[in-house]
Amino acid sequence: MTETAVKTRRPPLWEGLRKAWAISGKDMKIYYFQPAVLIFGLVFPIAIFFAFLMGRDVQAVNLFPGLIALTLFFSTTTVAPFSVPWEKMNRTFERLLFAPVSMFDAVLGKVVSAFLFGLVISLVPLAIGLIFFGSRISNYPVLILALLLGNLCLATMGMLISTVNADTPPKVMMVLNVVRLPLMFVSGIFLALPTLPTYGRVLAWFSPVSYAADLLYKGMGFQSYFGVLISSLMLVAFTAVMFLWSIMRMSAWNK
Amino acid sequence: MASSIEVRELTKYYGSLLAVDHISFEVEAGEVFGFLGPNGAGKTTTMRMLTNLTRPNEGSATILGMDTVRDSLAVKAAVGIVPEASNVFFELTTLANLTFTGALYGLPRKRITQRAEELIELFDLVPHRDRKSMELSLGLRRRLTIAMSIMHEPKVVFLDEPTSGLDVESARLIRDIVGALRKNGVTVFITTHNMEEANQLCERIAVINHGRLVAVDTPERLKQAAAEAQAVEVAFSRELSGDEEEKLSKMACVGEVRRLGDKYHLIVSDPPCVLRALYPFINEHGLEPIAINTYGPSLEDVFVKLVGKEKEPA
Repeated sequence: MTETAVKTRRPPLWEGLRKAWAISGKDMKIYYFQPAVLIFGLVFPIAIFFAFLMGRDVQAVNLFPGLIALTLFFSTTTVAPFSVPWEKMNRTFERLLFAPVSMFDAVLGKVVSAFLFGLVISLVPLAIGLIFFGSRISNYPVLILALLLGNLCLATMGMLISTVNADTPPKVMMVLNVVRLPLMFVSGIFLALPTLPTYGRVLAWFSPVSYAADLLYKGMGFQSYFGVLISSLMLVAFTAVMFLWSIMRMSAWNK
Repeated sequence: MASSIEVRELTKYYGSLLAVDHISFEVEAGEVFGFLGPNGAGKTTTMRMLTNLTRPNEGSATILGMDTVRDSLAVKAAVGIVPEASNVFFELTTLANLTFTGALYGLPRKRITQRAEELIELFDLVPHRDRKSMELSLGLRRRLTIAMSIMHEPKVVFLDEPTSGLDVESARLIRDIVGALRKNGVTVFITTHNMEEANQLCERIAVINHGRLVAVDTPERLKQAAAEAQAVEVAFSRELSGDEEEKLSKMACVGEVRRLGDKYHLIVSDPPCVLRALYPFINEHGLEPIAINTYGPSLEDVFVKLVGKEKEPA
């Protein structure tokens, strides 16, 4: 019988990151190709986009930053709200609670798997826009910042929503869509933020999606509404608050 | 011998329901300790508190000298947990379930592969190594669950109803594994309502009912507490007449006579006393005994006695 590291009260950072990565890897294997994740994360935003585009006198190229934001929003926020209640329902989430894994590492693992999923999926409409619709990237650093910070923030948002008191994926998905659908209309996805009515522009400040969309517009040659600095800081702030809130909510599960 | 588990006044409320009521006990290092009780008695809640899956409202517990709440990560690194439901990842293969568990416990990559293969061999899972868990039978999933719980070679293992609903082969394999863990000096804490299993596996047993500890002792000493539930079973070459049955029931030291098939089951507190009286009875009535057996009280008798006593009004 080998000696286990029972003396250390908290595992070192590197060990925690390895555990978080193990959780991400497991989620990638299990959930990325689940029909519900692909439908809500990929098919749904593309269908909404074309429903909005068709029959309107709008050039598709002007809507591509919005489509990328929409895809990013839907794909990234789908993974955790599916995986967490699925694991709670099958009691496999307890595996993470049995193990010497801190809540920080557990949440980080879940967020990273959603982040990577959203990152890959959001490259699909970007590539389509660049290849077929004449979209262009005018500011690479801002576009990369938008994809990284936007995906991270919205992955954390999905994580937070997955902590609602519901034990099956359909119940959590319902809550998720109650949050997602209204946000879609006040975040500059279909209508640029300056063209929104006053109440829409006020509400946009409270939606993390607005800042991701704003950076995407800027990166693809459009005017930024908030400015790159404010959008980036707001995404970081939203990420931090929702990350800590997720940890607090999950820690309360074993009270 | 040092204690592996020390429990002091551990208490848990769910709302106004008192699930576990100020229980205290110790489990020695390397001991197989049974936690016996009816459904809803507080067994699983106690186990969940010991593994910090549920926070106690009062009292404390230490495992290997570490506080289960304050040192929760260190405690989790030192214990293996087998829940009642076999919670393996259905979408992963047997091997992937084990390697993921190894990663969660921070084992080095090389050791993860080595240990996973060892356990696949030990638990007779070789033909199922690359099958998804959803394709495995209940017994195979149970074996995998236990294998996952000892992936990191814990010093203390908690097993919740380990053989419940299993086929004979799987149940026997799991009992053998518990025996092997004991040989390796691992402390095993088993919650069960299967008395025969507790009797076979455990060195000491705690009986819990309505959240309170009713008794903690070795199986044999617990059985002595139900000494009046001993029995002498006798079968004759012919059926007894009504008169003979009447005389048998009034024989010295006999508490009660039960007819079980072609046998008479005499409930007694002093078997030698009955045996002394039984031979004159046989001679007097010209009977030929086919079989005479004596039975000590079973753990079930003890359990019924202890739990029954709890139900009596104060």
